[in-house]
Amino acid sequence: RDTPRASVYSPPLVPCRLTQVRWSRYNPSFLEPEVNKELYQKSWEQLSEEEKEKMELKAVRPIKAAPPTVSSSVFSDPMISKFTNMMMKDGNKVLARSLMAQTLEAVKRKQLEKYHKAPEDEKETIECNPYVIFHQALKNCQPIIGLSSITKGGKTYQVPVPLKDNRKRFLAMKWLITECRENKNRRMLMPEKLSQELLQAFNNEGPIIKKKHVLHKMAEANRAYAHFRWW
Amino acid sequence: TLRLIYTTTAVRRKNVGASGPEKYTEAFIKKQIEEFNLGKRHLANMMGEDPETFTQEDIDRAIAYLFPSGLFDKQARPMMKHPTEIFPEQRKIQWGEDGRPFHFLFYTGKQSYYSLMHETYEKLLNAQKYQDQLTAQDLSPQKEKKNLAGNRWLTKIELEEMLLEKLSDVDYSRFIQLLQKLLTLPCGDIEEKYIQKFCKEVPAQLKKVVIEPLKYDERGVAFSTGEGTRKTARATAVVYDNGTGKITVNGIDILHYFPVLQDREQLLFPFQFLDRIGKHDMVCTVSGGGRSAQAGAIRLASAKALRSFVTEQEVEFMRQAGLLTVDPRVKERKKPGQEGARRKFTWKKR
Repeated sequence: RDTPRASVYSPPLVPCRLTQVRWSRYNPSFLEPEVNKELYQKSWEQLSEEEKEKMELKAVRPIKAAPPTVSSSVFSDPMISKFTNMMMKDGNKVLARSLMAQTLEAVKRKQLEKYHKAPEDEKETIECNPYVIFHQALKNCQPIIGLSSITKGGKTYQVPVPLKDNRKRFLAMKWLITECRENKNRRMLMPEKLSQELLQAFNNEGPIIKKKHVLHKMAEANRAYAHFRWW
Repeated sequence: TLRLIYTTTAVRRKNVGASGPEKYTEAFIKKQIEEFNLGKRHLANMMGEDPETFTQEDIDRAIAYLFPSGLFDKQARPMMKHPTEIFPEQRKIQWGEDGRPFHFLFYTGKQSYYSLMHETYEKLLNAQKYQDQLTAQDLSPQKEKKNLAGNRWLTKIELEEMLLEKLSDVDYSRFIQLLQKLLTLPCGDIEEKYIQKFCKEVPAQLKKVVIEPLKYDERGVAFSTGEGTRKTARATAVVYDNGTGKITVNGIDILHYFPVLQDREQLLFPFQFLDRIGKHDMVCTVSGGGRSAQAGAIRLASAKALRSFVTEQEVEFMRQAGLLTVDPRVKERKKPGQEGARRKFTWKKR
């Protein structure tokens, strides 16, 4: 078993007492891989200025290997993979992925049922694509402001703070998963409960949307402390 | 506490040129050069070659033949090289006989660094003056965008070798910032010659790898082989042309060998990326590693094999999609005093 030593990188030493724990096996000059096929099928003239610069930079720099969760097929979606990873327990990716597949199947079945029962004029408004439903439901669950605890003068206040995109997505997914794990009946399985929550979130109802509104109301109530934020 | 993890031979190598004033006099080095040339002719005579056309490679081969050594460190083996490579360039003594230093910035401690900064700033001021002259005459300065992607700045070690003086990280970053400011000025083109002293060409990544030509087997079908590794798994793949899209691993069909969907997706990734799913057949052998590592190894092997079937532009696209890089991530070792690689033992207050 050989341990290659020359390919290890850690950031340059900082002259104060900081422990460097975060390091990567890649040199910092390595760039992230781009798996989307459409970008490569565009011809040279169609690219914008920024993209041309990026392509020129990529031609000179080495590129990291694509992770095993990512693929260029139509079925791989970064949001779905993130959600599957969050649902995973003890590294059991097989189980998490099968649960996700069953959830999407359940969503599709429920929507198809609704579609066949609905009258002719409503048939077009019913969305059957489970990926579209998933994305829309997540978007509806994302909070806009969050609360952050800031200690000033001995007391801790809950200060309303704008959230970054990553944080919003993370909170939406976290709420969905915790909601499904805790508030379900004993016999109900995860895919069924998740599909129920997703459809409710898609129609802007359900406990997760309520949680989001509660958070917004709290932020509105604590508006007075907004000036405590310094970033 | 700091933990130094990143070391390469370049970092560990002592910058002898910057350590201090010269330990070898000029006369000594001249004598060494004469002795080297004489010894080269003797060696050529001994080996039966022509002394006039005896290159450095021939010297290395002759020495390796006459003095075979099994030592691991290449620097410890017997070698015969030109004295300028063995005795590194060092700074001459900076002061005259009366003790007075030659350079006016000697007492700053880093005379070559500060004189370099002064020169660069002078060029900057020149460029600004030129720009002011142009605006005074109402002529707009021409801005041609230089392609910056093909060049890189000198690294800190290379700059130290150039200046024969030790630099700190802060000094180096300030110098690079000055150079970048000079580049962004519209009239920076005048100073191009000066800037090119501190630039180095970076060749395109694609040209470093040689693509093998296609081979033909007995039936006349074109095929090519590739090897791939991931963690502890080693795989070899043979991709045949004019196929139906059948993939066999260790004699077993992929549907039986990889029951998990994610692994099969990884196997088909290179073919799907190039839109050649039903056109090739693949036979692979894989050993070692776990389920996911074997899939990753086969993916790399098949991508490498497909390079021979595909145009250069598509190979570049494959590289940019991350299909052709070996994944260097391996399992981190367990450290003593901790339970795992990162997990520490439970902390008990008493």
